[in-house]
Amino acid sequence: MSETSPEEARRIAQGARDRVHFEEEALALADQVYRVARGVSRSKEEAEDLMQETYARAFRSWESFTPGTNLRAWMLRILTNLNIDRGRRAQRTPDQQPLEEGDYFLYNRLEAASGESDEERILERLSQDHVAEALAAVPHDFRDVLVLVDIGEFSYAEAAQILDIPIGTVMSRLHRGRRILKQQLAELAVEAR
Amino acid sequence: MSEVDPCDWCEEVLQPYLDRDLNETDVEKVKMHLNGCSWCEKRFKFETDLRRLVRQAAVEPMEPALKAKLAALRLEL
Repeated sequence: MSETSPEEARRIAQGARDRVHFEEEALALADQVYRVARGVSRSKEEAEDLMQETYARAFRSWESFTPGTNLRAWMLRILTNLNIDRGRRAQRTPDQQPLEEGDYFLYNRLEAASGESDEERILERLSQDHVAEALAAVPHDFRDVLVLVDIGEFSYAEAAQILDIPIGTVMSRLHRGRRILKQQLAELAVEAR
Repeated sequence: MSEVDPCDWCEEVLQPYLDRDLNETDVEKVKMHLNGCSWCEKRFKFETDLRRLVRQAAVEPMEPALKAKLAALRLEL
């Protein structure tokens, strides 16, 4: 017979309950976490690998999560760090790449190419596939921010915390990322037809 | 002082405006301009719709098999 005191037994039981509770909460967020994983990955397979690595790490380090804080943000911080660790930084961010086009650029191009003047008709020229493909072509640093804010619906402050970058950087990358996305869309929806 | 073209100015502030990251005075200026300028108004509407398209870009749901794999990663009791 082991010599576990009643206090010790209670403590162990409580720890097990806390852990199960944590795991269940983390799993309940899987669909939301997957949206971000899919957004920052090039393929479905890559997203699935990333999800498994993320959950394996989260379950191992559950004790470092502070109950009552934002679990989704905590999970996504693990996910984005793992994604960075995977060496995808090999793709250099074209920070210095000139980007002369303004924010009306895509609309102007679509309008000129279609001869339409109705906003909804112009929008119809963009398919969901175009958007997914254009998003995949946005460099990672910008895409991470775009995905967290536009798809994950995080605030700037949360995205800054998750990616561990200043809030001003979140805003400038988002701004620039959206412009790059529009350039990509212009290429896909106008030039390539 | 050179006069800034109001449409150029609106293009510049389109993103901060939609991000609610613009000061009140400028927000009023944008609204005033959009009321009288359908050219800019269409472009602002388009940007809003485009953001919605981006939000919908990743809705392809996760495979049930992946969900099962994630659940299997839970630690042994």
